[in-house]
Amino acid sequence: MAEPARAGDVAVEMAGIAKSFGDVHALDDVTFRVAPGEVHGLLGENGAGKTTLMNVLTGLYLADRGDVALHGQHVDLRTPSDAVGHGVGMVHQHFELVQAFSALENILLGAVTATWSMDTASHRERIADLADHYGFTVDLDTRVADMEVGDQQKVEILRILYAGADILVLDEPTTHLTPAEVDHLFASVRELAAEGLAVVLIAHKLHEVFAVCDRVTVLRHGRLAGSLDVAAAAHADVVAMMMGDDATMVEARAKTCDIGEDEVLSLRGVTATGGAVDVHLHDLDLQVHRGEFVGIAGVAGNGQRELMELLAGLRPITTGRMHASGVDVTHARVDERIRAGVAVLPGDRMREGVLPASPLYETYALGRHLLHDHFSPHDLQDQARDMIARFDVRTSGPTAPTASLSGGNIQKVLVARALDVSEHAGGGAMVVMNPTSGLDVGAAAFVHDQLVRTCEAGGGVLLISEDLDELLALCDRVVVLSHGRLAGQQVAGDYDRLVLGDLMVAAHG
Amino acid sequence: MLGLVVALVVNALLLAALGANPVTAYSTILSAALGSVAGLAQTLNRTTPLLLGASAVAFAMRAGYVNLGIDGQIYAGAILATGVAFLLDGWPAVVLLPVVLLAGLVGGGLLASIPAWLRATRGINELFVTVMLNFVALFLAEYLATGPWTDPVAGEAITVPISAAADLPRLLPGGGHAGILLALPVAVGLSLWLARTRSGFEFRAAGSNPLAAGFGGVRLVRIGVVALVVAGALGGLAGAIEVTGVHSRLLTGLTPNFGYMAVLIAVLARRSPVATIPVAFAFAVLIVGADSLQRSVGLPPSAVLLFQAVVVVSILAFETARGRRLVARLVQATRRSPGRRRAGGVA
Ligand SMILES: Nc1ncnc2c1ncn2[C@@H]1O[C@H](COP(=O)(O)OP(=O)(O)OP(=O)(O)O)[C@@H](O)[C@H]1O
Ligand SMILES: [Mg+2]
Repeated sequence: MAEPARAGDVAVEMAGIAKSFGDVHALDDVTFRVAPGEVHGLLGENGAGKTTLMNVLTGLYLADRGDVALHGQHVDLRTPSDAVGHGVGMVHQHFELVQAFSALENILLGAVTATWSMDTASHRERIADLADHYGFTVDLDTRVADMEVGDQQKVEILRILYAGADILVLDEPTTHLTPAEVDHLFASVRELAAEGLAVVLIAHKLHEVFAVCDRVTVLRHGRLAGSLDVAAAAHADVVAMMMGDDATMVEARAKTCDIGEDEVLSLRGVTATGGAVDVHLHDLDLQVHRGEFVGIAGVAGNGQRELMELLAGLRPITTGRMHASGVDVTHARVDERIRAGVAVLPGDRMREGVLPASPLYETYALGRHLLHDHFSPHDLQDQARDMIARFDVRTSGPTAPTASLSGGNIQKVLVARALDVSEHAGGGAMVVMNPTSGLDVGAAAFVHDQLVRTCEAGGGVLLISEDLDELLALCDRVVVLSHGRLAGQQVAGDYDRLVLGDLMVAAHG
Repeated sequence: MLGLVVALVVNALLLAALGANPVTAYSTILSAALGSVAGLAQTLNRTTPLLLGASAVAFAMRAGYVNLGIDGQIYAGAILATGVAFLLDGWPAVVLLPVVLLAGLVGGGLLASIPAWLRATRGINELFVTVMLNFVALFLAEYLATGPWTDPVAGEAITVPISAAADLPRLLPGGGHAGILLALPVAVGLSLWLARTRSGFEFRAAGSNPLAAGFGGVRLVRIGVVALVVAGALGGLAGAIEVTGVHSRLLTGLTPNFGYMAVLIAVLARRSPVATIPVAFAFAVLIVGADSLQRSVGLPPSAVLLFQAVVVVSILAFETARGRRLVARLVQATRRSPGRRRAGGVA
């Protein structure tokens, strides 16, 4: 499918690219080159302009200035279909499959020009071959809505490959994957590169970049900070490039407070078996005390989502009791729990957290709008302005559409929102799910720091995360969730990854 | 704006093709609808149900619900209003009129509570239910107008008149009633409520991203019920106004598709109740003016519908093009349309 790589050939050559949104200079004089057969890492802080640069390459945004050449030919990319026509395909940070269609239908949608009839069988065969070849095995007849994120991503990539792309852009593809899935993806990516495709990989985790990339380009505040050969670079070089000299690395502080007696959150014998869900929750006994940082570890799909929904008040408790700071909230609605100080930061921030088309201050207000007797849009804007300054959110202001913020900046807003809910209750319970996925090193440390502060201010944190490193670095206690049950726990000081790992994968019974 | 210009040009061409002078035709429309007090009265009378219906539809749309049942709600409101007026015959106007209008609100609200209830408890889409109930309400009105309440001398489907004490006060000579004075504050009030109040905010949040709103403590089921019932009640009010302001009785043909026009107006006004005011007024001008075209220029009645269709299609076409660009700019995660996706070649 891809043309064989010729020596000295350049697959992508972007020169002097500039793009502004209002007063925000998202890109300024950026140069970016990728050779065929190369896996090229694109790095930078949240809001550095990575996605914007790739959106220019895929014809979604029109650059204000600059040239794009593909395989040495100058091209004019005005629409996404121009880019597809030139063999450029992108898997976005937030997927865009048709949920009600099967994998096969989604792939054909991207690749096949509409005609009255379609020879599905022969397409199916070729797609299956392609999938086998690169190790993207998925059931082509499953509806996308019923697929795990990892499989949805495979479908996205297959769709692009089948449409004939020889330049593949992956925007933060590892965010929602388990470590095993990441390894798998990287193996496939290397395979694609070996056949001459140019692959651009946007990533935040350096070890991932070093594992799979040949070269990296670093953006900082919309400008090119530099390009490096990975083989000749050290982690520290890249970090220095990303942060520049203006920033010193924020380290998550160790917690300085003691664990109190009072429970800010407690589940006793809680079972939730209602509804058509994959995982039912059974016999949960879990207490978070004042000043305590508790982690929930587990392989994705073992009830994390269900637990988060249950704590938020969106999933009914069948038996058992739940208390928030001593108040029985077993059957309380979401709004009542918010007033009781249960602050939930959902795992899927775009779907469960934001009002994409609404101004930023309204996204920030959601949930918080219940806390004060007086409701005034004017006050909400002022509060958002204040939050933007305190949390250093990169945006044009409180009235900017929420969807115009970069992923990392959106997360800052949602964290700030949850913090406010918990603070309002004088130290409530923060329930956070995968809070740092997709965040740059600095922003992740910032979020961790805020969680630690919540504990120190007398609240308690329940961190549901698939990232064991994160859990072990922060938590006083890590509890393993497996098949909807709490399978065991370890306390800080006695952490043993092997034991935890065993608990996580142990068969239920 | 551009859409409107295109619509005017296309309509001018159509008029020319039908053998009429477009300039004369347009000036006939304007002078008929606005050029005299009587014309203006007619135009405002038309604006009233369109405005109430459209702001109601726009309001429900902001919470994510589509009410296609304004026509049925108009009949339901008119039926209850007429019934109450018959029942309270002889009461003084100061009491009777408000009670009759209130009956209209209740009638529309009651009819809309059926789709609201089905949606809240069974998750049944309100689109179908509201459309189906249009027929139910129409046939009920027909039954009453030909059966129990019928006016035996009329020989058509109309009831005996209601007490004159229930008539809306006149605003203008030539039959212009005071209904517009109720409709305008409703449209303004709905917009203010959406923009300024806590519940209005929850309403818009539910319409924008229900999942996120649910996590934010917004009670989605309750909002759905409020959206549909309030919209239905306003449709019912429009029905009561038609009865007390225009016809003084219940009849079939009370609404010549006001409900569907209301949906179009709401969409053109981008779901803003207050923005439906100018749009509804423009539609009323077109309807009243085009009626007179039939007489003066001798165009067939279907031409009127044709003009409306052209206006709607051109404005919508330009709105969507705009919308698409806006979305592309707004949403970082791209939403390429299936049409564009197909553009790629096969590997
Ligand atoms: N459509 C838009 N309208 C307004 N501003 C935008 C738009 N798209 C991006 N921006 C701004 O441009 C800057 C760069 O955003 P971009 O999404 O490219 O960052 P990123 O490097 O991908 O960050 P992240 O790692 O958080 O995804 C940000 O300040 C963002 O707010
Ligand atoms: Mg991005």
